[in-house]
Amino acid sequence: MNLIMSNKNKIMSSIPVVAASYLGPSLTPNLDVAWDESKLPLSPDDLVQKIMGQPMRRAGRFIKMVCCGALTCLKSVPPEELKDKKIGIFLATGLGNVDEILPFITQVFKHEGGFPSPNQFANSVSNAAAFFLAKISEIKGVVLTVSQEELSFESALWLAQSYLERGEIELALVGGCDVFTPTVADYRERMDLKPDNSRSMRMGEGSSWLLIGNTSGKKIGNILSVTLDHNPKTELSNENILSESEKIASQFTGMQNKQKTILPGFRLTDIDQSFFKNKGWKVEDYLPHCGIHPTATAYGLARSLLSGTSAFFVHCNYHAAGRRAMVVATTE
Amino acid sequence: MTTSKIDIRGWGAVTTLGWSARESAENLLAGKVLAGDFCTSSHLINRELKAYEITYTGNPLEKAWAMIDSALTEAFSRAKLTAAEIAESCLLVGTTGGLLIRNEYEFAEIVRQNPGKESPAITCRNRGPGEVADAIARKYGINGMIMTFSMACVSSSHALVVAAQLLRQKKVRRAIVVGFEPLLNLTLQGFASLLLYDDEQCRPFCASRSGMQIGEASAAVIMEASSSSSKSKSAYRFAGGYLFNDNNSLTSAGVDGALAGNVIGQTLTAAQITPAEIVAIKAHGTGTRDNDLSEGRGLTRVFGDNLPPVVSLKGAIGHTLGAAGAVETALWLACLEEGMLPKSFGFTQIDSDLGFAPSQVNIPAKDGAYLFTFFGFGGTCTSYIIMKEH
Repeated sequence: MNLIMSNKNKIMSSIPVVAASYLGPSLTPNLDVAWDESKLPLSPDDLVQKIMGQPMRRAGRFIKMVCCGALTCLKSVPPEELKDKKIGIFLATGLGNVDEILPFITQVFKHEGGFPSPNQFANSVSNAAAFFLAKISEIKGVVLTVSQEELSFESALWLAQSYLERGEIELALVGGCDVFTPTVADYRERMDLKPDNSRSMRMGEGSSWLLIGNTSGKKIGNILSVTLDHNPKTELSNENILSESEKIASQFTGMQNKQKTILPGFRLTDIDQSFFKNKGWKVEDYLPHCGIHPTATAYGLARSLLSGTSAFFVHCNYHAAGRRAMVVATTE
Repeated sequence: MTTSKIDIRGWGAVTTLGWSARESAENLLAGKVLAGDFCTSSHLINRELKAYEITYTGNPLEKAWAMIDSALTEAFSRAKLTAAEIAESCLLVGTTGGLLIRNEYEFAEIVRQNPGKESPAITCRNRGPGEVADAIARKYGINGMIMTFSMACVSSSHALVVAAQLLRQKKVRRAIVVGFEPLLNLTLQGFASLLLYDDEQCRPFCASRSGMQIGEASAAVIMEASSSSSKSKSAYRFAGGYLFNDNNSLTSAGVDGALAGNVIGQTLTAAQITPAEIVAIKAHGTGTRDNDLSEGRGLTRVFGDNLPPVVSLKGAIGHTLGAAGAVETALWLACLEEGMLPKSFGFTQIDSDLGFAPSQVNIPAKDGAYLFTFFGFGGTCTSYIIMKEH
């Protein structure tokens, strides 16, 4: 792998994507199915039963979503390809177990004095979900929960790559999960969404995962680079996105036969589809399928990697403070 | 695992012992330690749980920010960081509750102003654990990578190990690791609901121990690779670390000590240090029956009859949850700077299941290797070694 380090916290080392999965508000893995924001959140219990063969009685919704999404990804790989592999788990979440924290705090603050559920408290701890996933998938060792608002997934992916490069793990299960928790107004406030800093779109949720690293088996694509640029003055205009994307594309061979595609994150309010089309780029708008949530990047990337088309993808988003993140991937 | 020459260039902390690591260390070594007490902060609704609460005249939210600022200011000053160096640094934050303090404070005010009325629906307006890192980065002009670990009690200790790994790989130039944990109803009530709380006192490794007591604190530790240090060489080096997640139990590391022993052993291997070279151990020592049993037996597995002095800081400052890694490291370094290691507070009687007593006197701080251990919810374990050198 060719590693390049710049002052933009950029890692450009091609890492194979072995498997991917995406799960959105409709709770149908790897499928785009219509959903209604007013009916969210849906119960994941049927999906849990289907994927795990038994209920998860003591787990909250966030934990169930994490496990369902991640196991869908893992189970798509023949077991013999994972046998004896050192796998690390990198769970990214912007808001964490809000679904457990809210009822717990409500109990705590009751006027007549509530006695909160110990199980609920244990489940509200941010890394509880990663623990449950590690237990179910029998993974030990590197299990990290990373949280950096809407750049959580990109940060986790960046970190996972560093672990793979160091050889401490052979495969990384990297995922992003955030759950819909009422009210919509509160959810939007939690994410600092304003008309001038985000797209006008439904709020959603997702649990989407990539398994990256080297195996002897097939791969579905590659993560070519993860860039985290923390210079707030950097503009994410259509022109700059195109320029940066073209520069990245030129550094890899074989891109000429691939459909060049932009995946815009929810903070990009001015994406001009016709501008990109005129330059030979397609804009794949994944957000209507999953709704806005902090780790929607994971959904967009996983969905694209499973699209079945031979393409070169550039996912762009930025944080409300101005920091930007770009993830570049290709499908086989 | 990390094997590297990573300098610890600066540190700062705010604990119940003082508004700086230095003041905290001086009071700790002088024995000016008060046990946890009933809390007075306006946002805390349970007045029957003892905790280590930092004294402050403003509201809880102001106090939270003051804690963060004070720790960072001390760390930057000690490290003599320029604005340019701060800007190019990366920021790793370890916290459990993040800025939930804002939520709790605002809600408590609403409830207080509407006595006897039905509780309004509580909202959760904070932006997740990452909000602290974002606010720090904006305020101090940190433009490097920022990342938050919200992993219960090992949040900032994990951040320290990850920072060292990234420094060794030259993926970052300098790491500012922050631990931050204000007192919250969420965590106070939460641990009480799990029956992990000691109503009277935090008594690490003591036969009469019956639980933990939470403390609030913040700290910052600044690390950089030795070769890129623009200042004179630091006396403190991060020699190696190890983090591991077990998957057997959500709440226990296993009382036979095997897991703890294995983690400690791996850390020694990573740092290329033998057990005989360890000068002293800054243990996790929470005061709960199981944690101390697990950790104590783990230490015995590794060190046998040659156990170095063991110190838990939690009898003096409480369990600062996600901040524990950064806070206890900063406090320990500040003690080393004073030339002494502190005693372990809260202990009165040897537990026969453990067979050792934590250090009961201050002892001179020799040059050499110091072992740090942390264990947390979700099977998480961190351990690392810091060298004190001339």
